[in-house]
Amino acid sequence: MYKKILAAVNEHFNSEIAARYALDLARVCDAKLYLQFVAGRRQSRSDMDTAEEAMRRLFAEATEKQIPVERIVVTGDPVQEIVSTVRDEAIELAFVSTRKEDVKKRFYAGTVARKLSVRLPCSVALVRAVRVGHIHPARILVPLKAQIDHLEERTFFIAKVAEVFHAKVFLFHAPRPVTRLFHGPIHLAPGEWETRLPKDVAELIESLHRYKVEFERRIIPGAVGKSITIEAAAKRHDLIVMGASQRSLWASFLKGNPVEDVLRQTPCDLIILNPKHED
Amino acid sequence: MKINSLAREDVFHTLVTSEAGLTEEAARNRLAEFGPNAIQELGKPSLLSKLGRQFTHFLALILWVAAALALISDALHPGEGMLTLGLAIVAVIFINGVFTLAQEHKAERAVEKLKLLLPFRVRVVRGGQEREIPAPEVAPGDLVILSGGDKVPADARLIETQFLMVNNASLTGESEPVPLSAKPCDGELIESSNIAFAGTTVVSGSGKAVVFATGMKTEVGRIAHLTSAVETGLTPLQKEIVRATRIIAFLATAMGLVFFGVGYFAGRTFWENFLFAIGIIVANVPEGLLPTVTLALAMGSQRMARKKALVKNLTAVEALGSVTVICTDKTGTLTQNKMEVSTFWIDGTEFAARDLPLNRAQATYLLRVAVLCNNAKGVDGEYKGDPTEISLLRAAGDVARELRSERLFEIPFDAERKRMTTVNRIEGRTFVFAKGALETLLPLCDRTEQAGEVVPFDPALRERLTEGYHALMDKGLRVLAFAYKEIETFSPADGPERIESQLVLAGLVGLEDQPRPEVPEALHKCHEAGIKVVMLTGDASRTAVAIAKEIGLVHGRPHVIEGHEFAALTDAELRDRLREEEVLFTRMAPKHKMRVVSILMEEGERVAVTGDGVNDAPALKKADIGVAMGLTGTDVAKEAADIILLDDNFATIVNAIEEGRAVYENIRKFTSYILSSNIPEIVPYLVFVLFRVPLPLTILQILAVDLGTDMLPALALGAEKPTPGLMKQPPRDPKVGLLSAPLLGRAYLFLGLIEAVAALYGFFYVLGSGGWNWGEMPAANDPLYMQATTACLTAIIVCQIANVMACRSSRESLFRLGLFSNPFIFVGIAAEVTFQLLIVYHPVGNTIFSTQPLPARVWLLFVPFALFLLGAEEIRKAVARSPWSARAKAPHS
Repeated sequence: MYKKILAAVNEHFNSEIAARYALDLARVCDAKLYLQFVAGRRQSRSDMDTAEEAMRRLFAEATEKQIPVERIVVTGDPVQEIVSTVRDEAIELAFVSTRKEDVKKRFYAGTVARKLSVRLPCSVALVRAVRVGHIHPARILVPLKAQIDHLEERTFFIAKVAEVFHAKVFLFHAPRPVTRLFHGPIHLAPGEWETRLPKDVAELIESLHRYKVEFERRIIPGAVGKSITIEAAAKRHDLIVMGASQRSLWASFLKGNPVEDVLRQTPCDLIILNPKHED
Repeated sequence: MKINSLAREDVFHTLVTSEAGLTEEAARNRLAEFGPNAIQELGKPSLLSKLGRQFTHFLALILWVAAALALISDALHPGEGMLTLGLAIVAVIFINGVFTLAQEHKAERAVEKLKLLLPFRVRVVRGGQEREIPAPEVAPGDLVILSGGDKVPADARLIETQFLMVNNASLTGESEPVPLSAKPCDGELIESSNIAFAGTTVVSGSGKAVVFATGMKTEVGRIAHLTSAVETGLTPLQKEIVRATRIIAFLATAMGLVFFGVGYFAGRTFWENFLFAIGIIVANVPEGLLPTVTLALAMGSQRMARKKALVKNLTAVEALGSVTVICTDKTGTLTQNKMEVSTFWIDGTEFAARDLPLNRAQATYLLRVAVLCNNAKGVDGEYKGDPTEISLLRAAGDVARELRSERLFEIPFDAERKRMTTVNRIEGRTFVFAKGALETLLPLCDRTEQAGEVVPFDPALRERLTEGYHALMDKGLRVLAFAYKEIETFSPADGPERIESQLVLAGLVGLEDQPRPEVPEALHKCHEAGIKVVMLTGDASRTAVAIAKEIGLVHGRPHVIEGHEFAALTDAELRDRLREEEVLFTRMAPKHKMRVVSILMEEGERVAVTGDGVNDAPALKKADIGVAMGLTGTDVAKEAADIILLDDNFATIVNAIEEGRAVYENIRKFTSYILSSNIPEIVPYLVFVLFRVPLPLTILQILAVDLGTDMLPALALGAEKPTPGLMKQPPRDPKVGLLSAPLLGRAYLFLGLIEAVAALYGFFYVLGSGGWNWGEMPAANDPLYMQATTACLTAIIVCQIANVMACRSSRESLFRLGLFSNPFIFVGIAAEVTFQLLIVYHPVGNTIFSTQPLPARVWLLFVPFALFLLGAEEIRKAVARSPWSARAKAPHS
C-alpha cells in the first residue's frame, strides 16, 4: 500500500523521532523514503544547521538499512513545499511531527502540522514523541471508535507498525456508559460489552487476523480521551496509534475532542493516522 | 529494544546528545518541545469550577428551580412567606455544596506529595561545562551528574558509574539500596540496572546519566498521571441518591402538574393553582435528606476513627459497607511484620531455633553467613535494621556478639537478584558469604555440607534439599538459603559473577512472621459476610498457602497465581482465574495491584485494596475503597487512599466494613422516617384543591418539618448500633436501591397515611371547634385558621415522635431493641419538641410560621394517633418476622 513515504524534518528533535518511525515503516513496506526539510525564509542559521544534521543522520541510517532514500532541502513555505513534493512524487504517506507547544495552539490557531494533516493529498501520520527511551515499541495501544473509515488502510498501518517492531497490539474500545433515566449508570461486565461490539470494530479485528497480528482486545466504558491515556499509562504501552479527529471546532467545543485530549496528555509516543487511501 | 539495551555510544546517538551534554540552545529547544520536568495534576479543575459543579448537580438544579419559583411567587404575590422559602432552599444548596467541596478538596492531595519526590536543583553537563540548574529545566538528552544524597531528577540511562547505589523505595517499596551500573542490559525498562528513575535517591557512589524522560513521562510521572486521572466513579450511595432524587423529582413535578390541571378544572385561579403546585413540589422534596445523610456519614466516620480507621472521604463510610472483595497485602496487615527465626535445616536435619546451643558446631558456617552477611546493627543494646536481618542476629545469639571480621566488599540485596553477598576477612582468611532465595542461590552452589565434610552436589543431595525447602515452606515459613566459600585472594574488580560462583550451600533458615491474633476472627467474619479476600504477597507460593491456611483465609486448595504467570496472563484469562473462590497472588510486585483491582471492578465487584507504597497510589485511587497503612504507609499512599488504618491491621478493615453496613442500614431508617412526613405534607394540598377547603398546612410549615423538627431525630437514627446479624448477611445487592418498593410502601402508604389522617383531624377539629362551616375560606391571617394549621403541624410532629421509634428497625420490635438503647433518640425528640414549642408558643415562631398558640387538649388529641402508629407498626413487624412471611427470608438489602 505504501511505496513512497515522506518524513518532514525540521530543527526539532520530535521531527527526527517521527522520521525514525517513517524510516522503520519504509523498511518493512519496501518503500522509498523521502526526507524533506523546508527552511523558512526567516529561520535562524543554527536552526537550519540542526535540521540539516538531523537530515544527515537520518539519511545515513536509512542508507545503512538499505532503504532507498532521497533528501529534499528547499526554502519556502513548509506547507506549500511539502504539498508540492507529495503531488510531484505521488507520495502515499507522510510523517509529520507535533510538539508540546504545538498542542496548545494547533486546534484553534492552526499549526504547520495541522495544516499538513488537512491539506496533504496523501495519508498523514502525525507523531508526538514524548518518551524517547522507547526506541522500539513492544506494546502498541490501538484505540478504536465505533465507526471506522478507511478500514483496510488502518489495518495495514497497524499491522505493519506491529511487524516492524515485533510488537503486540492491544485494541481498545471505550464506548459511552449505559445509563437509564431513573437508574443512572448501568454496570455491564466485559462479556456483556463484547455482545455490543460495533460492527466496524469487529471487521477490523477480522482484518487483523488476516495479517496474523498478535493482539488482545479490551472494552472499557468511559470518557474516551481519558480512558485511552489511563489505559496507556496503567498497562505501560509504548505507543498509541489512533485515528485523526473528524470533529469540527464547534463540535469539539461542545462535546470535547478525545483525540486532542490524548494528544495533550499522552503518556507514551502517539501516532495519529489520517488515512486517505480508498478501500 | 529500549534505551537500557543500547551501548553507551548508541545512547548518545539515539538521544542526539554527547559526553559534553546538550548545548544551552538545544536544551532550551528541547524544554520547549517536551515541557518542564515537573509533576503536574492532569486536567485539574479550578476551585471555582469544582464549586460550580456542587451547585449544578441534579438535586441542586431541582432545588434552584424550587427556589426560583418561590422567589417569583413572592414577587408576584408578596407576604405569603415565599421569600423566606426561597432563601431557605438557597441556604440548603450552599451548605451542602460547600461541605462536599471541602471534603473533596481534602481528598485530592496525593499528586502534591508526589511533587515532593523530585529535587529542586540538579547538576548537569551542558556544552561541556558542569553547572547547576533548577530541576524543572532538565530536558531529554541532558547529561545529569549524580552523587550520594542526590535525588534523581528524571528517568535517565546511566553511562558512567562509580559504586553507584540508589534507593528505589519511592517506586518499588523496597527499602534496600540497589547497585546500578552503566552496562547495557535487556528486559523491562522498569527492572533495568542501568536506569536511574526520577524521585529515587542516590545512597552512595556517583555516576552520569542521560535523561530520556522528564516530568509526567517518567515512572513517577506515570504514577502521578494515574493517581490524578483515575476516577472511581460514584459510590453506591451516591448512585442511589441520584436515582432517588430523579424518582422524587419526577413524582413531585408530575404531581404538581396533574394537580395544577385538577385545580384549573375545579375553577381555582391561576395564582391559587401556582401556589398549590409549588406546595406539592416542596412537600415532595425531602429537603433535609441530603444534609442528614452527610451528617450521618460524618458521625459514622467519627465512630470508625475510634476503631482506628481514619476516614478521609465521607462517602467512603458507606462504600466500605458495600465492599464485596478485599485485596490485601500480607506482611504487616495479616501478619505482624515481626520476623523470627523458627527453624534451621542443616545437612538434611531440621531443628528448632531454640535448640541452637545444642547444634552450634553443626551450624558454624550457616551462623557465620547469618551474622556477617547482614546489615542490621546493635545500637544501645538493641538491633536496628531490616526485620529479617535482625531476627537472624537474634537467632545467632552469642555468635553475633563474639564473631569478629572485616567486611571487604558487599553486593547488596535487591528484589531482582533476591540475594545479598559479602566478602569478609576472619582471622586472616577470606570468605564469600551469600544469603537469599534458594532459587537464586542454588544455581551458584556446586557443593554442600554432609556429615561435617564439604561434598559436591549430586542429584540425591539436591532432592533432599528441595524436600527440606518445601517442608519449611509448607509450615508457612519464609525460607532463606545460606552459602559460602573460602577464597585465596580478593579484588573488587573480580565482578559479581566470579565472586558468587562455586559456593558451598550451608543450609536453610525458616523465618516466621506470626499472624496478627485478630486476623482469623476477622477473616471468619468476612466469610460469613460474603466478602471475598484476595491476598497479594511477595512470598513464595508454598509459604503463602501455608499462612493463608493458618489464618483461615483459605480452606481447600486455593488457586495460586505467581508473579511471572500473572504478567503473562491476558485480561480474559486473569478474569477467569479471579472468579475462583479462593485466589492467592504470590511473588507479586506492587505494580501488579492496579490490574487486579481494575479487573475485579470491571466484573462488577466493589473492591477495597490495601497499600503503603508510592506505587500503590494508582490502585488505592482506582479501587472503590483505598486503604492506606497509617504506620508504615508513605504520604503519597495516605493521600491517595479513602481510609487510613491507624494500626495497619486487617481486622480494623473488617470492623470498619461492619460500621459501613450499619451506616447504610441507618440511612435507610431515617429515609423511611423523613419520607413518612411527606404524606401528611402532601395530603393537605390534595384536600385543599379537591374539596375546596382552606389550605391545612403552609409551605413554611412544611419546611419547619423538613429542615427543622425532623433533622435531629433523623440524625439520632443515624447513630443506631449495628444489628447483631449484620455481618452474617451477604453484601447488599446494588440493584436494590435506597428507595426500594417496600421502603416507599411502608413510608408513604402506611406510616405516612396514619400521620396524614392525624394532621387533617387536628386541622378540622380546631376549625370546627371555632365555628367554621364547610365552604368558608378564612383569610390567611385569621387567628382561627392559623390555629388550625398549627394543629395540623403539631399532629405531624407528635406522630413523627412515634415514627422515629418505629423506624429504629424495619423488622425488630422496639421492645426487643430496648427502648433506651439509643439515648440520642431522646435527645432528638427533646429538640424536636422544643422547636415545635417555639413555633407554637413563641411570638417569633408565630410570626415566621404563621402559627397561633394551641391549648394543651389539642396536643393530647394526637397521642392516640401516635400510639396507633406504634402499635400498627409493631404488628407489621411481627408479620414480617413470622416464618410464613417471605420477607422474613429476604437477604439484607
